[in-house]
Amino acid sequence: MSAPHRLQLVLNGLALDGRPVLWPLQFAPEPGRWTAVVGPNGAGKSTLLRALSGLLPFDGQLTLGGRPWAAWPARERARALSWLGQNEGGADELSALDVVMLGRLPHQAWLAPPSAADHAAVQQAMAQTQSWDWRDRPLAQLSGGERQRVLLARALAVQAGVLLMDEPLAHLDPPHQSDWVRLAQAQARAGVAVVSVLHELNIALQADRLIVMAQGRIVHDGAAGDAATHAALQEVFQHRLLILQAEQRWIALNA
Amino acid sequence: MKLHTLLAAPLLALAALAQAAPITLKDDRGASITLPRVPQRIVSLLPSLTETVCELGDCAKLVGVDRFSNFPERAQKLPKLGGLEDTAVEALVALKPDVVLLGVSARIIDRLESLGLKVIALEPKRMNDVERVIGKLGEVLARPDEARRLWNRIDGHISQSAATLPPAARGLTVYYEVDSAPYAAGAASFMGEILTRLGAKNIVPPELGPFPKLNPEFVVRADPQIIMVGQRSAPSLPQRPGWTGLRAVKNQRLCVWVPAESDVLVRPGPRMSEAAALMARCLRQAAAGPVPLPTEAFTAPPGGMR
Amino acid sequence: MTLGTRGRAALLLALGAGLFVLGLTIGSTGWSPLTSADEGLRQILWDIRAPRSLGAWLAGALLALAGAIGQGLFRNPLADPYLLGSSAGASLGLAVMLFFLGVSPASTVLALRVGMTGSAFIGSVAAVLLTLVLARGVEQTLRLLLAGVIVGVVLGSGTALLTLINLDVMRTMQSFMLGSTGFLGWNSVLVLLASLALAGPVALGCSRSLDALSLGEATARSLGVRLALLRLLLVAAMSLSTAAAVAQCGLIAFVGLVAPHLVRSWGNVTHGALLLLAPLTGGALLLAADVAARWLIAPQELPVGIITALLGGSYLLWLMHRRHASLGAKR
Repeated sequence: MSAPHRLQLVLNGLALDGRPVLWPLQFAPEPGRWTAVVGPNGAGKSTLLRALSGLLPFDGQLTLGGRPWAAWPARERARALSWLGQNEGGADELSALDVVMLGRLPHQAWLAPPSAADHAAVQQAMAQTQSWDWRDRPLAQLSGGERQRVLLARALAVQAGVLLMDEPLAHLDPPHQSDWVRLAQAQARAGVAVVSVLHELNIALQADRLIVMAQGRIVHDGAAGDAATHAALQEVFQHRLLILQAEQRWIALNA
Repeated sequence: MKLHTLLAAPLLALAALAQAAPITLKDDRGASITLPRVPQRIVSLLPSLTETVCELGDCAKLVGVDRFSNFPERAQKLPKLGGLEDTAVEALVALKPDVVLLGVSARIIDRLESLGLKVIALEPKRMNDVERVIGKLGEVLARPDEARRLWNRIDGHISQSAATLPPAARGLTVYYEVDSAPYAAGAASFMGEILTRLGAKNIVPPELGPFPKLNPEFVVRADPQIIMVGQRSAPSLPQRPGWTGLRAVKNQRLCVWVPAESDVLVRPGPRMSEAAALMARCLRQAAAGPVPLPTEAFTAPPGGMR
Repeated sequence: MTLGTRGRAALLLALGAGLFVLGLTIGSTGWSPLTSADEGLRQILWDIRAPRSLGAWLAGALLALAGAIGQGLFRNPLADPYLLGSSAGASLGLAVMLFFLGVSPASTVLALRVGMTGSAFIGSVAAVLLTLVLARGVEQTLRLLLAGVIVGVVLGSGTALLTLINLDVMRTMQSFMLGSTGFLGWNSVLVLLASLALAGPVALGCSRSLDALSLGEATARSLGVRLALLRLLLVAAMSLSTAAAVAQCGLIAFVGLVAPHLVRSWGNVTHGALLLLAPLTGGALLLAADVAARWLIAPQELPVGIITALLGGSYLLWLMHRRHASLGAKR
């Protein structure tokens, strides 16, 4: 894994099709911590993640390891930051293994075949998401959950210091959701800055840090167990949540 | 003397009657056309028919022609009515013709007939067609004798061209290229028939049809002694793979037709004897030595050639 | 039995070689054995049949390469090499050259110097450049496609106008539109080979990025793919391949569209394998069509484009019927 570079976003404004989507905010994912971004629909969570990944133009500065985003060569940047989008389709014909191997693209020289390190990274990533068994099956033949795990493995295979995931739990059943949580926590412990946009509050409340968004702004930034965080959650979800503690875990139920 | 004038009078009277009598004939479509009297205003949409009408002496009766009718001089001054595919119907009707002469494949026949015009469709494609068409037009114009004389003249000139060829110019193998795809004029085509009359051997046998699209290798294998080709495609001949080895190319036995000559050669009409004369000249020159290339640069007629 | 990419490539190369040998035996007299070759026939073999067969294979390979690139770049299974207006441009270039042949002595000299192949090549490349200008660069694929359609329609009407004004132009254009391998000599082979040697490696080098692109533009960018550069390189490779093939052989339909689908019908492939196997398939397809064009009614010839449509189309029809599935289906 490459040495994690610190990602820092200072955003003054971001507009899509002329319509302002994000208002001034600042965000810097911490290495070694798992941060969950939550908020109601249309809060701008995915947009924030895209801005963090340099995929959307905005008014402001994005620096990685102290250097401005534009100063980084594309491949180095891609080795330092891995992004998993929401509902990114396609690649139906490629086998699961080929898809995960694409995650090694930033590490591969132009015409070079995959190296031993590439194969090892792919195998490790697929083992971590329990998708190794069907590595030869084309993506189109996989179920929604299996497919999502392959895409997750692709993001992991990059072995980047910053891991940004947008709705990573799509199509995953509870056992695999737990697997994912363990994965996120393991990555964080290994020093990766993990950021995940989640609408499953119960999962998000297991993160180290919670970013609560509403209407294009960061409303709260704090630990998942803090009362202030819970208050912010209630605020943005129109006080229709019931936040309880069960077996030393915080859970949020709809009230 | 008196006897002759006595005999001439009823004949003249008959001729006068004939001018006023209705004419019925079958055209090349098989349709039966009846003209109330000899037409005085004629529109022709096929160059060979224009030429035939003029050769039969009734050039003055032409009131309109198609854009490709460029012979004789008189025809060039007549109003042009477009081609067979895009005839100017309004202008045509405004000329009030007694009969419209055109080819069988004209799209406009139904339209003209529905407008009440008399349409005679004749399409001369081969040598015997020319005789037939001249005869039919002779009927239309009530000039059967002129028609017969015209055909005899043409036929005689061709035979003469053939007869005056030196022995060395007879029996030569010829390849006539009509298009650079390559399309050849086979023995079953109009040009091919003239070549046969002149005693030349076409490398394309009649089984392949009048205008077959050949494998270029066929020409290389046949190695014709003479190649006849239009001035447009002539420069590209030596560039074709394997063609520099052809004896016709090596020894400059290429008869290159300028556009005016091509016009005569592709048109089955009364200038057939000229076509035969052109080909005979080519054969004679080729038998004697390298054939001189045309000195004038290639200038295409603006509308293309039909 | 599943063959790896290398196995399939070897098989396709063997097929091409076999067809090449067959092509050497088919001439204006139909099939004739190579052993009875006399001096004259040997000359014909070398001057005519060998370059023609090789040229047909190379042209097929180029068209298939262009088609595979187009289908990957635009993520559209119906993409063909002529997508960006290149066919309309080639036709117009040729029609203009034919039109000016004979307008004046100076224009005739110029037209003859440029030649039919030169004018078709220039026209094809110019049309793609026009498409790029209209689409204002390669950023948006939808705009590129739209611009390509517009250019195709406008240039096509220009060609139609020229052919109507001058009927001689129409006659020559007709054989160009149907494609012809009749006059491929060693010069043509060199040009085609050079084009393949240039476009092929460029395309293969971009194949992994094309795979990444199939995961979505955003994901590809996050993986470090420089999309603008990728599109530019691939459009360049695609237009060079198409222009070279069209200039030498006219507009041969279907090979570029069908060859990638044929490859996919034998099993799923990454773009790396596709951009290798598609040209090998296209080459074999066009060479087979050329052999058939020469053989069926020897010494006459059929237009090769008709045969490619029949061959490629019938195989796909059979495949669809057997699989009851949509194109590009998986096993």
